[in-house]
Amino acid sequence: MTKATTRRFFFGGTIVFTAVFIAMTIHTHMTIAERTHADRLTEEVVRGLHVWGRYNCENCHTLLGEGAYYAPDLTQIVAQRGRPYLTAFMADPSKFYSEERDGRLMPTLGLSDPEIQEVISFLEWVGGIDTNGWPPRPILVSGAAPRGMPYVEGSLTSDDAVTRGKALFDGAAACATCHSRTQGLTQIGPTLAGIATTAADRLADPAYRGAAKTAEEYLRESILKPNAHVVTGGTYAAPDGTSLMPSTYDRTLEPDAVDDLVAYLATLQ
Amino acid sequence: MTYRSQRVAYAYFLAALVLFALQVCFGFLTLAKYLGPDPLRDVMNFATTKAVHTNLLLVWILTGFMGATYYMVPEESRTELWSERIAWGQLALWLAVGVITVVGYLFGWTTGRKFLEMPTVLKVGVVIVMVMFLVNIVQTIRRAGRFTTTEGVLVGGLAAVALLFIPAFIVFDNYTLDRFYRWWVVHLWVEGVWELVMGAILAFLLIRLSGADREVMEKWLYVIVGLTFLSGILGTGHHYYWIGTPRYWLWVGGVFSALEPLAFLGMAAYAYNTIRRSGLAHPNSIALHWTIGAAVLATIGAGLLGLAHTWPQVNRWTHGTHITTMHGHLAFFGAYSMIVLAIISYALPGLTGRDEAETQTSLGLWAFWLMTGGIFGMTMAMGAAGIGQTYLERILGFGYLEAQKKIQVHYVMWFATAIVFASGVGAYIWDFVRAGAPRSVPAAAPARDLRVPA
Ligand code: HEC
Ligand code: HEC
Ligand code: HEM
Ligand code: HEM
Ligand SMILES: [Fe+2]
Repeated sequence: MTKATTRRFFFGGTIVFTAVFIAMTIHTHMTIAERTHADRLTEEVVRGLHVWGRYNCENCHTLLGEGAYYAPDLTQIVAQRGRPYLTAFMADPSKFYSEERDGRLMPTLGLSDPEIQEVISFLEWVGGIDTNGWPPRPILVSGAAPRGMPYVEGSLTSDDAVTRGKALFDGAAACATCHSRTQGLTQIGPTLAGIATTAADRLADPAYRGAAKTAEEYLRESILKPNAHVVTGGTYAAPDGTSLMPSTYDRTLEPDAVDDLVAYLATLQ
Repeated sequence: MTYRSQRVAYAYFLAALVLFALQVCFGFLTLAKYLGPDPLRDVMNFATTKAVHTNLLLVWILTGFMGATYYMVPEESRTELWSERIAWGQLALWLAVGVITVVGYLFGWTTGRKFLEMPTVLKVGVVIVMVMFLVNIVQTIRRAGRFTTTEGVLVGGLAAVALLFIPAFIVFDNYTLDRFYRWWVVHLWVEGVWELVMGAILAFLLIRLSGADREVMEKWLYVIVGLTFLSGILGTGHHYYWIGTPRYWLWVGGVFSALEPLAFLGMAAYAYNTIRRSGLAHPNSIALHWTIGAAVLATIGAGLLGLAHTWPQVNRWTHGTHITTMHGHLAFFGAYSMIVLAIISYALPGLTGRDEAETQTSLGLWAFWLMTGGIFGMTMAMGAAGIGQTYLERILGFGYLEAQKKIQVHYVMWFATAIVFASGVGAYIWDFVRAGAPRSVPAAAPARDLRVPA
């Protein structure tokens, strides 16, 4: 082998692979609009992307798994937490977290109200990108599993509604990031320890505003219409009284999934 | 030094080392925030210190590359630089841009795009610097009319570095496209054109340090950089698995990026063979340590630890965890920091008008072993943190914050080993300072006749 041969190898290889790369880039471009549902890419979302950049969110957080590792990945955060809670959180994270309890605290970055809405819209749009199935299992900010391992193989496809409901609660539906099942442990929402019993008490309470007649109906209503009756106390509601629980489950959860969740919650006596 | 204008290289090297020291300081500040409450949260939060840490890294490595070029090109082309004035002006502008960037971050002036956080105006400053640099180098070579392959790979690599900076200017509305082109800069730099620069410096050093045959070395240099592009260009696909790009990138990225370690293995084999043929007899043993060290640690940090998580079936679990931090540190240090430190150690005796044997202090060797040992320990600590995080958070489904609490001990280990590393950095800088200021010595007069007793 002579130097002329290896030089040809270098230049030849470089030219060929650059050409292939450019061709693949062009093809990739043609698929992006659909894969990222660019029709939902509104001006508000674009402004949100710039808020994301201006406040340097990416040097603490990852998004689509890229960024820094000091703070949780936010790819699915809007589906998991919902807009009302995120609005309250972004305005003042110290209402929900503390360095003593959680080890670290997101600084109050001083976003304006419109900026908060814009960045949430941006995150919501990112959550809908077709990522080839990443993350393979939900990444949660907090809560969840120390008490229950959500990913026992096959639990989501089990024949038993309660098993499926529990897997949803801990995993895909991410209820566990807001609700503990330990007496006295309040995360963002009230503990659901004994919720089957509490539900009956709620109905008996004269302050109850909703339409449910039975405990099971109350559970279903709590999931699908959080604002039908807002439990008082803690950090449960925004200043205007709207519940911080996502009000989108009527759209994002399949009816079967709601049945499973209710079946599971009904076992928490 | 053989040519008077090579003295500009000393100033570049000095600047690079000062920035390196600052980078390490900001590394500690950043890591400290992992360990406990952060009293500086509202003054200088994690995002700020981390961006300063990584940007200082890029700036000092590039400063080192520029210094290396200003040292190597006169030697290779056997001439003075075309314009020493441009070289000084370039350094001044480059440092001004660097300082404004870092101070700007402290005041929140950032675009927050990982590694490319610089505001656009400052990026224009970078382009001006690059143009000054390339013009000066190309003119030097043209005037001399002598052009070696090593030099060609070096200058070609640097020109491509400048060219690939262009995508950093484009603003995208679609986050997926924003990510797609961010990697044209970040990946195609470190796993593409920077490797050309590294390969050229390595070839230069091996030829000088071992007296190996230039024809043979340059023949293999083409093989190494050929392998780099053969694997690295389509290897960009290992960043296109999960960002909204089509599924075919999973296997294209997987297969080609799995070939990327070949180029690094090539460099290690290159170093090994030269040493085997010509021995380790060169008087500048410290430079030899750094040169061989770079070839070996790059192979481990970039090649082996890159390979460890590049396959999509693995990457889907480890993506965006401290596994990436671990690989990023050892790859950057092994490949690019060590090669810059190698050329500095090689050039220092000449630049300061000293005899090579005389600059071989035990402090210099300590610096090598403390940094190497330290980064090795840091890699272990980050690796343990990354495995813990992947398992607890990604596989078992613990909340992010709960998983972080459980891996605290690895941050403590990271901190402890970082102290070892930092003491090596201190030793290196002290050794550099002790070698004295640059002096040009007429080629005929041996350095030792002019020396003031130290
Ligand atoms: C200095 C680091 C830092 C920066 C900068 C930062 N965050 Fe955070 N963020 C955190 C941490 C840490 C958490 C975890 C909760 C806690 O401990 O406060 C968090 C949590 C979150 C959450 C999840 C809250 C929850 O309870 O589900 C969202 C959403 C969020 N951040 C959005 C953002 C956005 C948007 C930006 C930029 C405007 C941003 N963050 C910038 C550190 C940061
Ligand atoms: C962003 C945090 C959040 C998430 C996620 C969330 N919730 Fe809630 N939830 C709340 C808050 C806050 C309340 C109390 C205010 C109210 O009544 O709406 C609440 C109330 C409830 C209640 C009534 C509790 C009581 O004591 O009466 C039930 C039942 C409930 N949630 C179930 C769920 C289920 C099931 C899911 C997952 C599908 C879920 N929640 C997800 C925050 C959340
Ligand atoms: C005292 C030594 C050092 C300490 C304490 C340190 C600490 C840190 C910390 C805490 C981070 C942030 C990780 C995160 O995103 O969560 C980081 C990132 C980084 N550091 Fe260092 N560092 C040190 C030295 C170095 C050196 C010598 C290099 C390279 C030569 C380097 C290169 C990087 C890179 C490339 C990143 C970004 C990594 C990524 O995002 O994956 N650091 N460092
Ligand atoms: C000297 C060469 C290299 C350097 C300096 C380097 C550095 C880095 C850095 C800093 C990152 C984080 C980038 C970011 O998130 O913005 C990264 C990511 C990555 N690198 Fe490298 N790398 C090198 C070579 C390699 C090689 C040869 C491979 C594969 C064999 C590889 C595989 C990867 C993978 C798969 C990721 C993505 C990690 C994730 O999913 O989070 N790297 N590298
Ligand atoms: Fe890469």
